[in-house]
Amino acid sequence: MKSKSKQEYKLRIPSQTDNLELIRGFIGKVAEKVGFNEDEVGKIELACDEACTNVIKHAYADKDTDKALDIVIKIDYQKFTVIVTDHGRGFDPKSIKMPDLNEYLAELKVGGLGIYLMRTLMDKVDYNIQPGVRNQVKMVKYFINKENADLVKSEKEV
Amino acid sequence: MKIKQIDRDGVVVLQLDGKIMGGPDATAINDKLHELVEAGKTNIVADLAGVNWMNSSGLGILISGLTTIRNAGGDFRLAAVTDRIRSLLMITKLLTVFETFETTEEAIQSFS
Repeated sequence: MKSKSKQEYKLRIPSQTDNLELIRGFIGKVAEKVGFNEDEVGKIELACDEACTNVIKHAYADKDTDKALDIVIKIDYQKFTVIVTDHGRGFDPKSIKMPDLNEYLAELKVGGLGIYLMRTLMDKVDYNIQPGVRNQVKMVKYFINKENADLVKSEKEV
Repeated sequence: MKIKQIDRDGVVVLQLDGKIMGGPDATAINDKLHELVEAGKTNIVADLAGVNWMNSSGLGILISGLTTIRNAGGDFRLAAVTDRIRSLLMITKLLTVFETFETTEEAIQSFS
């Protein structure tokens, strides 16, 4: 088999809350396959659940349930990247601020913890918003130990 | 998510089961807590042994529940938290806000 420079997995699914479990299952299985432990798999699943929930609730405002949510997982020897794309309402990424957790706890605020979780559970979170064209959130988790990187490398060389 | 209510020694234990994810779950827990407050029951334990998944909306439900019950003069305590949910409470520092107990029994006793 010709060696691949990258592995890529894709899922296109209707933007519905009751599909979140399927999305988590898809992302979790791939994360497990490349060697993340149970704790890390849980964190990746949760971060992606938060990203997709934001799309369903905000980009599509819980209305466009027939619209697609595209999820692409890209794997190379050093990182696991999840890209969530939608074609709904965009936003200004600069308006997204990391919540001040102390303020949250002092006032017992509800909501907004999703962004905090995404940024805390993943190593890197970037937005690419093109209003009227597409919105993307890219989340990266680096392989924390050599064994994971080696596993992906050896699969690439098959 | 399912809710089962058990009344013991002046404490109400709410056994929550399944995934806590906002939407209908928020309404169900909120309605239950307001019903308890109206009945004068404000010593509440949420037994989370059966909760296998929670996202930020689920955390919001717990925070909202805590505010409702504390405003009514009582407390909303957590028991039998699974490792996954404990990790989530730790990351969000909510372990510093909620009183948590290893077992439901300990949580009930904490009100006496």
